[in-house]
Amino acid sequence: MTGISYSEALAHYQAAKSRDLKKSDMATDELLQAFHPDYREDSLVSLCVGPNQGDSCHRQLAELLQSDARIDEADLAGASIVQTDVLVIGGGGAGCAAALMAEQAGARVIMATKLRLGDSNTVMAEGGIQASIERGDTPQMHLDDSLKAGHYRGDPKLVAKMVMDAPDVIRWLIQQGMQFDLDEFGDLMTRRAGGTSADRVVYYRDYTGLEMMRALRESVRNSKIDVWDYSPVVELMSNESGHCAGAVISNLKDCSYVLIEAQTVILATGGIGRMHLNGFPTSNHFGATGDGLVLAYRLGAKLRDLDSFQYHPTGLAHPQHLAGTLITEGVRSAGAQLLNGLGERFVDELKTRDHVSAAILKECAEGRGVRVDENAVGVWLDTPGVERTNPGILAKRLPKLVELGNKCGINPVEMPLLVYPTLHYQNGGVVIDEHGQSTVPGLYCVGEVSGGIHGRNRIMGNALLEIISFGRRAGLQAAEMSHGRGHKKVTIGHLSKLRRELAVAGMPMEVKGPMLFPECAKFEKDADYEGFRRKKQ
Amino acid sequence: MTDKHSMREMGEKLVNVKIDGKAITAPASLSAIQALWYAGYSRIKSVGCLEGVCGSCRVLVRRAGNSEVRTQLGCQTLIEEGMQVMFLVFPRPTHHTYKLEEISSSWEVQTKFHKIFPEASRCRECRGCNASCPKGIDVMKGVALAARGRFREAGELFVECVMCDLCLTACPELIAPNHVGLFSRRVTAYFHTRPSNLIRRLEGLQRGKFEVNIEGEKP
Repeated sequence: MTGISYSEALAHYQAAKSRDLKKSDMATDELLQAFHPDYREDSLVSLCVGPNQGDSCHRQLAELLQSDARIDEADLAGASIVQTDVLVIGGGGAGCAAALMAEQAGARVIMATKLRLGDSNTVMAEGGIQASIERGDTPQMHLDDSLKAGHYRGDPKLVAKMVMDAPDVIRWLIQQGMQFDLDEFGDLMTRRAGGTSADRVVYYRDYTGLEMMRALRESVRNSKIDVWDYSPVVELMSNESGHCAGAVISNLKDCSYVLIEAQTVILATGGIGRMHLNGFPTSNHFGATGDGLVLAYRLGAKLRDLDSFQYHPTGLAHPQHLAGTLITEGVRSAGAQLLNGLGERFVDELKTRDHVSAAILKECAEGRGVRVDENAVGVWLDTPGVERTNPGILAKRLPKLVELGNKCGINPVEMPLLVYPTLHYQNGGVVIDEHGQSTVPGLYCVGEVSGGIHGRNRIMGNALLEIISFGRRAGLQAAEMSHGRGHKKVTIGHLSKLRRELAVAGMPMEVKGPMLFPECAKFEKDADYEGFRRKKQ
Repeated sequence: MTDKHSMREMGEKLVNVKIDGKAITAPASLSAIQALWYAGYSRIKSVGCLEGVCGSCRVLVRRAGNSEVRTQLGCQTLIEEGMQVMFLVFPRPTHHTYKLEEISSSWEVQTKFHKIFPEASRCRECRGCNASCPKGIDVMKGVALAARGRFREAGELFVECVMCDLCLTACPELIAPNHVGLFSRRVTAYFHTRPSNLIRRLEGLQRGKFEVNIEGEKP
C-alpha cells in the first residue's frame, strides 16, 4: 500500500513553487514495456482456434473469442423470420452513420441495438473530432501523426481514406444539425491532441459525443430506418456459400428469438471496456462487452491487434462509485498539468495516451502517487492551474468536467482532481478494407469493433472521425451490394464447426459468448430472461 | 465495479432503501442502479452510460419524510436512508416528425416549426417540464423562445439535454419540449454554421490540392 497520503500530497501540491518537468529516465518504448498494461506478461495467451489461431490475444478476450455459442438449431424452431436489405447491428454513431447512408441509397434498413438507439460510447465522447482544416495543417500531417502515435502498426491505406474524408465528415455532421464551438467570426475552433503536430480537434465543449448523438439519433428517428431496441444479436447467420446473411436477435422484451435475413450486415457494436481487462476501471458504456468481435470471429472474420488496448490517462480515481469516469484530454490540451504526490510534474502531458498512462502508472507503482485509501491511488490533474492562466475556461469550454467535480464534491476551479488510467478503447478489431468490408463476404465492420486504423495507440478525436468516415463508407457499399439475388439457405451452420474445433482444442465449453452484459448486472441470474438462455438438456 | 467485500471492509455507512419495491440495504455511496446490483438484483433495461449523458435510467424518487416525488436519472441518484425509487419505462416516441432537408431556406424555419410542432405555441406554463428535468434546464423558456422564432437562443438552453424524454412525459399539451429544443439546435447548425476554415479546406480538397502519400518514412 504505497503512496503519499492525501493530506500530505495536498500540502506538497499547494507548496510547490516550480512546475518544471522532471527529467524522465526512460524512453517511450522502455516505459511502455515496463508499465503499460498491454505488456503484462501474464495477461496474454495464444489463440487455439479460429482465423487468428496462434496469434497473441488478451486472456480475457481470448476466453470469449473461444467461447461456446448461446444458442443451437433447436432454439430457433418456430422463431419468426424478417427480411431486409441491410442489417445494422449497434445504435451508436457508427451504426447511425451507416444506417443513414444505406437508407439514403435506397436500401431497406433494420437497425438492431442491444439497448436503446444512441446508447453507446459515442454519446460519452468528450474531446472532439480530428479534421485538418487549419492553415498550416494538412491531411498528410494528420496521416503522419496518426501512424506515428500508433507506433506504425496501423494500416496506412485505411488511415489515408479517413484523413481525406475528415473535412467532409464535419460538413456532413453540420448538415445533420450538429453544432460545434465557433470563434467570433464563425470559424471552427480547434484544439491539439496529445502526440500530434497541429491544432486539429474540432469540438463542442466537452459534450462533443452527446451533441453528435443527439443530432444523429434525431436523423435516424425521422428516417425510414426500422429501429429495434433491446434486441441484442446472439449469433450471425451465413448462406450456402459462406456469405454473412443475417443475424439471430434475442428480443429482451418478450424473450423470443427473431431471425433477420439480410443481404448485407454491418457490425457496429463498439468496444470492450466492460470486460475490465487487467482489473482496470473503465470509461465505457454499460453495453461495451465486445460482442461484435466474438460474433465476427466465429463466422470466420480475421481480427488484428488483439493484445493492444487504450488506457486513457485521466480517468477519475476517486470517489469509488465514479472511478474510471473519463476526464477529457481537452483539459490537458487546455494546459492542465499532471503532478505526483510530491507536487512534481513527471510527464509531458501532451505525449501520446499510452505514454502518459504508463508514466502515471510508474509514479503510482514507485510510491509517488496520491493515496486516498486502500482502493484508490492517483495523481493530480491540476485544473486550478488552467483556470489561473485562462480564467473562466473550465465553465465555458469544459462544463462536463465542472459537473463531474460537483458530483465528487470538488470544485475543479479551486482543487485538483485525482486521476488514474481507465480502460478506454480497443485499438485493434476486425480486419477491414476501405469500405469496412471484413474478410467474410457480406459482413461489414465499422467503428471500434474494426481494427487497423489506430495501430497500437489512438489519438484523441480519431475515434469520432473513424465512426462517421467508415460508417458512411460501409453504409453506401452495403446498400450497393444488397441488390443480389438473395440467399438460398440461411443458417447458423458455422456453429457446428466452431464446436468441433473447440472440442478438438480441448477448450472449456462452460463460457458462453457473446457476453452481452457486464457481470455486475446479473443478467444470467435474472428470472425475467429465463426463456432467453439455452435450455438445460 | 463496486466490490461488496471491499465496501464492507471500508466500514461505509449502510442505508435502507426501496427500489422498485425491493427492500435493499447498501452503502450510501452507491447510485440507485449500483444499489440494485449490489443487492444481487438484475438490472439491464434503463441502464446506459452510467454517467448521466444517455438519459436511459429515468426514475421516480421520493425521499424520507417528504411527499414530493421527483424525476431523476438513476445513475446520478445516490441512495439515502428511507428513499424510494421506481424505474420508469420509456414513453412512446413523439409523433412529431421532420427532415431538415425539407426546410428549403432559413426564411422558412418559423413557418415550418409551427407546422411541425403546432402544440408549442399552446404552452399553458404549468412548469411540469422544468420540474421534471434532471438537468435543471429552463425547458419552458426554451419552448417559448422557439415559438417566437428565437431558435439560436432556445437551443442554447438545451446544451445539457440528454433526451431522457422526462419533459415529454410531463407535458400535458404533448409539446415534446426536448424535441423542440433539439430542433432549435439543429436548424441553427444546419442553416447558420458556415465556418470559413472548413469551407476553404473542402474547396482545396475538391481541387486535388491535398493528396496524401502513404509511402511515408518510418523511423
